[in-house]
Amino acid sequence: MNSLGFLAAVNVVVWVGLFFYLWRLDRRISEREREG
Amino acid sequence: MKFAKLLLLPGMAAMVAAAFLWPSPAQGFLGESSRIVFFHVPCAWTASLAFLIAAGYSAAYLARGNPWHDEIAASAVRLGVLFATLALVTGSLFAKIMWGSYWNWDPRESSFLLLLFLYGAYLFLREAVDDPRRRARVAAAYALFAAVLMPFLVFVAPRVTASLHPQTVINPQGKILMDTPTRVVFFAGLAGFTAIFLWMLSLDARFARLTRRGRDARLGA
Repeated sequence: MNSLGFLAAVNVVVWVGLFFYLWRLDRRISEREREG
Repeated sequence: MKFAKLLLLPGMAAMVAAAFLWPSPAQGFLGESSRIVFFHVPCAWTASLAFLIAAGYSAAYLARGNPWHDEIAASAVRLGVLFATLALVTGSLFAKIMWGSYWNWDPRESSFLLLLFLYGAYLFLREAVDDPRRRARVAAAYALFAAVLMPFLVFVAPRVTASLHPQTVINPQGKILMDTPTRVVFFAGLAGFTAIFLWMLSLDARFARLTRRGRDARLGA
């Protein structure tokens, strides 16, 4: 894999990590809002 | 809404991968340095959008006194400062490659740094006032003052003197000087960063509202 491919892969992994972090946070906040 | 968020996962993954693999490097730039445009410009755009939203909700708070408006304004500034910092960091990386130094006191670098200080002061101001209503009023007035200076720092000051900064998307020719792959990835990046920012804004403001309600419930009990 060339260096651009490596950078692309690293950045996609970072994005996927951020997405699931935000998704989990969203779910937890929604639960707290439902609890009132 | 849930579907739109889910769509963001493959959409941004494709955009990020394409930023490195699809468009050819732009002419007149060293190596692959021009690819920073796909991350640097969306960060700067998102920061400007965040500060505009903060101004809008600050005006709404002063008009109606609804604490939810204050929470959105504060969240927008927090995220605006985050994205402005990312814009400065990515810009500095580009500067090191192209101009040999991370910081050159270029008009655009300096004006964006001032913008960061201007809104950093908003966050310090919020921490300095204990009473929530007074804090919201003072912060809203400051955000409106900062919003008057913001267009000057983003659009006017960097254009007054000669700058090392490459030509921006808003240029004297009034044309977007990009080939098709660059244009597609660039605008996908702008849309993606805007969507991520709006999602983060909603999370941060909703968390602030939950915290307020919890505090009010404790004080009322």
